[in-house]
Amino acid sequence: MEDVIAGSQGRWEQLAPRTRRVISVVGVILTLVAMWELYKLVWGALGWIRPIRPDDVVMPHTWDMVIELFRPVRRGGGLLIVNLAGRSLWTLREAILGFFVGGLIGFWLGVWFVRSRLAERALMPYVVASQTVPFLAIAPMVVVWGGGLGIPQWTSVSVIAAYLTFFPVAINTLRGLRSPDPNSLELMRSYAAEPRDVLWKLLVPSAMPYIFTALKVSATASIVGALVGELPAGFQSGLGRALLTFSQQFAVQSKKLYGTVIVCALVGMLFVWAVTRVERRLIPQRAALEEEDATAARAAA
Amino acid sequence: MTDLVVDAGGVGKTFGKGEDRIEALRGISLHVSQGEFVSLIGPSGCGKSTLLRLIADLTAPTSGELRINGKPPARARTDRDYGIVFQKSTLLDWRTVSKNIELPLEVMGIDGRPDVAARMLDLVQLADFADHHPWQLSGGMQQRVAIARALAFNPSLLLMDEPFGALDEMTRELMQQEVLRIWDETETTVVFVTHSIPEAVFLSTRVIVMSPRPGRVSDIIEIGLSHPRDEDTRESQLYYAKITEVREALRRYEAAKP
Repeated sequence: MEDVIAGSQGRWEQLAPRTRRVISVVGVILTLVAMWELYKLVWGALGWIRPIRPDDVVMPHTWDMVIELFRPVRRGGGLLIVNLAGRSLWTLREAILGFFVGGLIGFWLGVWFVRSRLAERALMPYVVASQTVPFLAIAPMVVVWGGGLGIPQWTSVSVIAAYLTFFPVAINTLRGLRSPDPNSLELMRSYAAEPRDVLWKLLVPSAMPYIFTALKVSATASIVGALVGELPAGFQSGLGRALLTFSQQFAVQSKKLYGTVIVCALVGMLFVWAVTRVERRLIPQRAALEEEDATAARAAA
Repeated sequence: MTDLVVDAGGVGKTFGKGEDRIEALRGISLHVSQGEFVSLIGPSGCGKSTLLRLIADLTAPTSGELRINGKPPARARTDRDYGIVFQKSTLLDWRTVSKNIELPLEVMGIDGRPDVAARMLDLVQLADFADHHPWQLSGGMQQRVAIARALAFNPSLLLMDEPFGALDEMTRELMQQEVLRIWDETETTVVFVTHSIPEAVFLSTRVIVMSPRPGRVSDIIEIGLSHPRDEDTRESQLYYAKITEVREALRRYEAAKP
């Protein structure tokens, strides 16, 4: 038995890393699809309706969700996928602006806190508290305030995205800036280095793996922020709007809602993938790997 | 007295206050002349690393007088009078070997950095590894880069805090040979912290034996082995005699312990 496992592992490891990644991604998707369809089949055959009714409205076939993407939005209209692609760009624009603004604010807070214990003590509780405020509640207010200021509505939505982005970046930047070995700091002291040099030549590069861990979290958070921020906004563009419209028509349009959800997930994955690409270019492999191991160790502990 | 690189008189260091106070060093007097190689040796807790850190102005003495090149330690540090090597190489992972050596030069605004780095890599015999990253090097090679980095700005004093403590015995002996060669070529003064008796004897012109609680200088032993020292030195009568002398000096304290 052990030989069989060892043998199959050996074959698995002989595959190119890229092939392995593709196989595992496809494998996960097929498994989820199989579970969905199996549930539908079994519950349907036995006539069970709990916890979820397995009919074609509440649980359409997975392939029908995909097929729906390639049907017209309404009679004589463009394809749903084309419509959603346009909306994706709109939402991505909001999310990316929020991501950059929130990321910069988070980074700046981390740097400020590492330099000033006083600032950290005074402001950290509010930084933490900001994330316990339900952002669903403040999203409409932000949109109203933004309207009052006369800024474009889509940038108000970016404010919501930034609000969700800055927090993980601030916390992880601070952690990362505190991560260098004490001897490294003493080395800089022995050079009589300026605080500016210590920051940019030692602290910030040491913090990069931590910052990118946060940016990956923030990438998805900024998309979620943009989707939710669109709900109270007045415009009809954006994926959030589509989610709202299709959920109101769920009884007749459920496949459209599911299709939109799939597109939202793809947009989020695309954003995280882009951040990962930048990370690979900026950070030497080992630093990234070590941080991954450390994260795994923390998760295990 | 200007040729005294390290001049300590009655230096003491106490950490903490009240109940928790720990007297790490008491009444340390130490004089290191230019071109000397002095080792500080003693059991853990004898304050040898603390003494090195006082010299480096990484911490301040609580009593006594300490001068480096005739200046207060803080002044010597801002004048970049010394380079320091720790037990961990503390190389920056995101920089190549030569960029690591250039780090102090960048911070100090010294020009011609690539040339200096190349010269330093020649000195530590790692010219072929200039573009490698630290994690691609063995522990001994990493320490050689750390030494090159410490010497890149041509300091008059090299401070080493158990630099070979994490290396295996064979690498360690090779590195000792290297350090002596570099010391000879650069004419730098070295203060070297170690807990290895043979290492202290092989490297030093003088060995300072310290005893703990509180840390004091208990013996000063002149080594007097001829230079250059090599593998034959390790088999000489005088070498063994000096090892015995240092060991007995360390034992004397153990025997006197209450």
